[in-house]
Amino acid sequence: MSTYILMKILESAPGRYDRGIRILTLGRLGKTYDSLVSHIKEGQRVLDIGCGTGALTLKAASKNATVMGIDVNPQMLEIVQKKVNELNLAQNIKLCEMGVAELGSEEFKSYDIVMSGLTFSELTEDELSYTLKEVKRILKPGGLLLIADEVIPEDILKRTINWLIRFPLVIITYLITQTTTNAVRDLPERIEEAGLIIESVRLNKLENFIELVARNPEEGAKSITTH
Amino acid sequence: MGGLLAQIIMNRLKYIIVNIVETLLRGFPFPSKTGLIKIGNPGRDSPVFLTCNYHLTVERVKRALKGIDCYLLVANSRGINVWCAATGGHFTNHDVISVLKTSGIEKLVNHRNVVLPQLAATGIESSVIKKKTGWKVHWGPVYAKDVPAFLKNMFIKTKEMREVRFPLMQRIEMAAMWAFPFSIIASIITFHFFRDMVLPVATFLWILSLLIFISFPLYSKWLNTKKKGTSFSKYTIIFDFGRVPLILWGVFMFFIAVYGILISNFTSGFIFRWGLVSFVFVLLISIDLMGSTPVYKSGLHEDRLLKVILDEEKCRGAGMCEQVCPRDCYEVDKSRHIATMPGADKCVQCGACIVQCPFDALYFKSPKGEVLAPETVRRFKLNLMGKRLVKVEEQ
Repeated sequence: MSTYILMKILESAPGRYDRGIRILTLGRLGKTYDSLVSHIKEGQRVLDIGCGTGALTLKAASKNATVMGIDVNPQMLEIVQKKVNELNLAQNIKLCEMGVAELGSEEFKSYDIVMSGLTFSELTEDELSYTLKEVKRILKPGGLLLIADEVIPEDILKRTINWLIRFPLVIITYLITQTTTNAVRDLPERIEEAGLIIESVRLNKLENFIELVARNPEEGAKSITTH
Repeated sequence: MGGLLAQIIMNRLKYIIVNIVETLLRGFPFPSKTGLIKIGNPGRDSPVFLTCNYHLTVERVKRALKGIDCYLLVANSRGINVWCAATGGHFTNHDVISVLKTSGIEKLVNHRNVVLPQLAATGIESSVIKKKTGWKVHWGPVYAKDVPAFLKNMFIKTKEMREVRFPLMQRIEMAAMWAFPFSIIASIITFHFFRDMVLPVATFLWILSLLIFISFPLYSKWLNTKKKGTSFSKYTIIFDFGRVPLILWGVFMFFIAVYGILISNFTSGFIFRWGLVSFVFVLLISIDLMGSTPVYKSGLHEDRLLKVILDEEKCRGAGMCEQVCPRDCYEVDKSRHIATMPGADKCVQCGACIVQCPFDALYFKSPKGEVLAPETVRRFKLNLMGKRLVKVEEQ
């Protein structure tokens, strides 16, 4: 019987992703996402990198922005599609199964906003550099990069506490969803290296979760494109 | 000179230690760094190989490629080995596209040919890689040690290079992989309840695992792979399998009884406790073994009762199935331009042929007659319990 229950849990892993991530992030994710989405204005073109089950995508679309959500997991996208249909947001949202390595197909200066929740921490080193370079390319001048993600605290004490808290959470989450997240190192520095300007960085008390807004600088004095 | 020798010995020692530790912990993911590795002095026309980021695999591939000037790309498979990761959806088209695009390899070589391990064919679609990146996928040998011969043979694989075998050495590795974590867990439990028995329990688990895996070719012949279980429900079919472990269990119980009599400590409680504990182990090992061997088709995994069906109307004899089949099921009739399946009995339902067929001429059929179309097999991978997640859960 216990085997059977275990199978049921594992069977529905993608469906349980939301719940698993909520445990892993101790419920703070919703608020962070709300605050990120507050930067989005009506009618803007938004790209959500690693949309997962659509938390950020749906919030952005409900502000009447045009959102493109990309993810490598087709099952996640199916869950988002279902939510999109239920909420009648189909005209605002386009979903696409693609990874960051395919961002080359997106046009130069075509987005007002690029956002990403808990995705950068899943990327490899090479992917992260590549993504930041592509984000710089596809953002309109003055466009924003919005990130919510897990980072490694710089303070050694906080790093230790963080590890102790995370360890059991990682195991629980892995059992439920077979996913986990890794923290990113030096995210603000890497974003600046890519040529974006950090507008604001907010860390939680433990310094293990970052909420970051960066701007693509205007070229010269004038902006070339209009919104 | 002495320094060099010391270096060689150190490297060799490190390789041996890595192999031992990671064999014992084989059941767990062990990620290594992803990206580009240069081997020897590669130039603009040197071959490009790609593998997963399971640490042990990367070490072994590097060793096999020694002496060949080439590039090795390590793609992100979440620290899981090639076959499991590709079949379980942890090593996908996206991971291959990503390492080709983001590692910088495109600036280093003139050609666009990449050799992938054949077992990745259950999850990576060569046509998608070609379309999205321009790189042509060549399905390399199953085992890294065959790569030098594969290169010499101008990228043509012999039958031996395509086939997954389950030789003694690998069976011992598998036995260690199961015995190690289980003996540790069992030791911790027995330490609290039954302190004298920690060593016997651990030893017993090792011996049992080794016996099962070493004798595998013998008793796997007795297993009736055609029979559908007539048990209660599909979850009780595990007892079908119990024959060999149950015999071993009986032998063990006999020795326990003799032991009890010899040290004049023979009580029914003693026998009962040991009977129960060892029976649980037997059961656990039976369940695990069913999921870990490429031969036995159990009722617990419905996927293993699937049959690959060849649609002769659609087949054009492209021969991809023959190239990627790890059990040598296919033969391609070059004159009639059609594939046949003389070795269908050996099929392990990995699905590689279905994923790769350019004409969608292959599909799975379940014992109930349900059809799993190529699109489904490509899109939905197996989870940890060997189930294909076809439906989306109601939210």
